[in-house]
Amino acid sequence: MKIVFTPDWFLSFDVLIEIFSFLVLITFFVLALRSYKLNQNKKALFLGIGFFLIAFAEIFTIFTKLVLYYDTIFTKEVGQMIVTYHVVNSVDVFYYIGFFFHKFLTLSGLYLIYKIPSKKGTMGDFILAGFFLIISAIFSSSVYFVFHIVAMIILFFIVMNYINIYKKTKFENTKTLIGAFAILLASQIVFLFSSIQIVYAIGQILQLVSYIIMLILIYHITKYGKKKKPHADSL
Amino acid sequence: MERKRNHTQIVSDMLGIIQERRGKIKPTHLMYKANLSHVQMKKYLEEMKKKDLIVKKNALIEITNKGREFVMKYSQIKEFEETFGL
Repeated sequence: MKIVFTPDWFLSFDVLIEIFSFLVLITFFVLALRSYKLNQNKKALFLGIGFFLIAFAEIFTIFTKLVLYYDTIFTKEVGQMIVTYHVVNSVDVFYYIGFFFHKFLTLSGLYLIYKIPSKKGTMGDFILAGFFLIISAIFSSSVYFVFHIVAMIILFFIVMNYINIYKKTKFENTKTLIGAFAILLASQIVFLFSSIQIVYAIGQILQLVSYIIMLILIYHITKYGKKKKPHADSL
Repeated sequence: MERKRNHTQIVSDMLGIIQERRGKIKPTHLMYKANLSHVQMKKYLEEMKKKDLIVKKNALIEITNKGREFVMKYSQIKEFEETFGL
């Protein structure tokens, strides 16, 4: 079975996109953590953990892919020795573990981001959700699109959450956030057909666009936050 | 109806008001502008002084660089929280 669908000409570009995504996600984590430290806002803390989990997932996929790409070159150089076969076999386990954690952490992070605006869930809700996320990540190893379907569903609900928030607040930044998550959702739909290599590259590019929009959002938050004047409202 | 301000927001509002007044303000003006009682303001000013966010000079309250930095960081955090509807 194929582990990754990256076309040869796209090798390394996908890793660069993932490094970029990691940096954007970590910046959101830092902003959320600052918010928690300053305001003791627990929702911000959970949002931060959500972003951190996805960032951590990116680290798993970056390292796994780097080893995978390096290993491909290595086996080509060594040739058809039996020793190489054993090396590849043991490395296969590493790939599966790496990609499993990538999928599980991404889904857990997305689930946390989805869960924040809603009312508090019980411990049972989280255990049940955790169970389904583990099952989805395990199944994704043999049926690759399971991960993308689950991510797509959670992202759909995240987009709906933020549309509802925007309807109430009419805050421009929230509109940008909706755009970023909607493109991320579109990328998951595209990934469903990633057995066609060019489609996989299109999915990755969509993901890059989504993270560029998030970076613009970070710029707005930090730049316009500086300009905003505080005001004393009623006690 | 406006939401009740929390402790950090009041501190940020007070510092913002001082900053708007070119970094200096009379205590009575600050009290009215920040919508605080005398007791409340005294408590807040003492705390802000301890944290080096303000200094008292010639019966005026002055914002420090640390105070300006706090206002900026707090505004960014507010922008972040509003974006995510937190």
